[in-house]
Amino acid sequence: MAAELVDFALVSVALLGIGIYGLAVKRNFIRMLFAVEIVINAANLNLVAFARFIPDSGGQTLALFSIAIAAAEVAVGLSLIIVAYRMYQNVDVADFRSLRG
Amino acid sequence: MTEPFSTPLLLIGILGTAGAALPLLGIARRDRGSHLYAAIALGALAASLALVGYQVISGVAGPPAALPDGVLADDAFGAVLAAAMIIVALISTAGSIEYMRKRSAPAVYYSLILLATVGMVLVVYSADLVMLFVAWELMSIPTYVLVGFNKRNPGSNEAALKYFLFGALASAVIVYAISLAYGLTGSTNIGEVVAGFAALDISMVPLALLSVGLFIAGFGFKMGLVPFHQWLPDAYEGAPAPVAALLAAATKKAGFAAAIRVVVMGMISLSVDWTLALGVLAVMTMTVGNVAAIMQRSVSRMLAYSSIGHAGYILVGLAVAPHSQLGMQGAIYHIFNHAVMKGAAFVAVAGMVVALAATHMDKLAGLGRKMPVTSLGFVLSLFALAGIPPLSGFWSKLVLFEGAIDAGSSLWWAPWLAIAGVLNSALSLAYYGWITRRMYFEGEREKRIAEPRSIAAVMIAASVFLVAFGIYPEPLLGLASSAAPLIP
Repeated sequence: MAAELVDFALVSVALLGIGIYGLAVKRNFIRMLFAVEIVINAANLNLVAFARFIPDSGGQTLALFSIAIAAAEVAVGLSLIIVAYRMYQNVDVADFRSLRG
Repeated sequence: MTEPFSTPLLLIGILGTAGAALPLLGIARRDRGSHLYAAIALGALAASLALVGYQVISGVAGPPAALPDGVLADDAFGAVLAAAMIIVALISTAGSIEYMRKRSAPAVYYSLILLATVGMVLVVYSADLVMLFVAWELMSIPTYVLVGFNKRNPGSNEAALKYFLFGALASAVIVYAISLAYGLTGSTNIGEVVAGFAALDISMVPLALLSVGLFIAGFGFKMGLVPFHQWLPDAYEGAPAPVAALLAAATKKAGFAAAIRVVVMGMISLSVDWTLALGVLAVMTMTVGNVAAIMQRSVSRMLAYSSIGHAGYILVGLAVAPHSQLGMQGAIYHIFNHAVMKGAAFVAVAGMVVALAATHMDKLAGLGRKMPVTSLGFVLSLFALAGIPPLSGFWSKLVLFEGAIDAGSSLWWAPWLAIAGVLNSALSLAYYGWITRRMYFEGEREKRIAEPRSIAAVMIAASVFLVAFGIYPEPLLGLASSAAPLIP
């Protein structure tokens, strides 16, 4: 039996929930970055599934754009993490507390 | 279809070429002498400002359609807001010249400012969700790097990490919202999405509302609306001061432009009573921003909270937009004014960093005698932010609050937004006045010190703008009303 649109939507919502949970609970910066990536991929899954069922190619185009841009974003994020690691020898957000007020 | 020589494409050409050429030039010259790069960046920005200014003044840019088709809408709404973005980029670049003199990689720095400007300009012009998302990222990714540009400074790095995390989450939320909107309507064009929302089956309306709510959350992160504002003071404090000017005065306003294009139109078509939600957000945002600003000891942190407060004022305009045409006009007018006021204020902070290496309130004592030009510009922009007549900030607040009162005929609670706004302005006067007192009436026999020249030039230009358009506000008011899309 072929998968229905609802199945994709459910998986996507589950991924969204996992992403938000990760952001709220985890304190390791790399894990938080992964959580954001999971949210982006939930959206990509939605886009591709909707594009398949409408049917229309626009959603797949946006999904490709979104994947490429997410990669650029991760590159910047990881480089910031490397700089932080050199400074603190750690990537725990609880250690970042020089800005307060 | 977009014309090959439409304004947004020409702007991409000018700013993008300069932005791409600068790092190459930097490699070729081994980064010697940062002034050349600044001059190139200023030249490209001035050329684009001249282009946009010509479009606006000559009326080439067509009147704004509420729901344009195509990918990029070459209209007056885009042109006026793009002019505001480019002005901020100019202010920030000019303010960086002295700031960047002793720092590494100036070519990359100016190039990133130009690329972020391309992104902001495209956000303002975009009429398609795919374009909007790509432009949004083009605007955000360079600013992540810019915030962390002082990479030996733990504060700058921490600011960049926080800003990055919230920014990346905001983009993820926006893609999710786009995916829902696309799934419900089968199109990514904003006009078609809105039309599709209006024709939606009643059982699907909750999903459409979820999509619009996610849009508000995603854009709200950049705008600094209150439940999503925690990153903002940290990012503005840790960032290099000219970059903070760019963030507070431009990327934030690009968030508002995107919200006007998507959220306001989308909400109108859904015909749900959503204005109350935006109104409550507006009051919360301005109150939290202003109350927190009073308690700050660092000038850049105080300005950051004050910009949260101003996001609240602008949101008043969006909230009453369906009931009064003045709301949208006031929002655009205040976006334009706030761009100059906040940009100038942060550049003044950059001047303090260069000359005194401090942004703490206690170091402000006697600044009025130490750095008279910077101090005068700073005080004028602070008073304009507070909305004291006859500075230009007064008029845009007046239009915003007038819109709220005007909407009172159909919304009983709308005048309360104006009352909250006026009370908040009074509150903000407390901390602006306190800074002014420190600068002019404290400190003993301070000697005048050398002021960074380009920063002083920015302060003079901004003061002239604030005073001239305060005494004679008609031109800006005319621009704002010609740029406001008519609500159907």
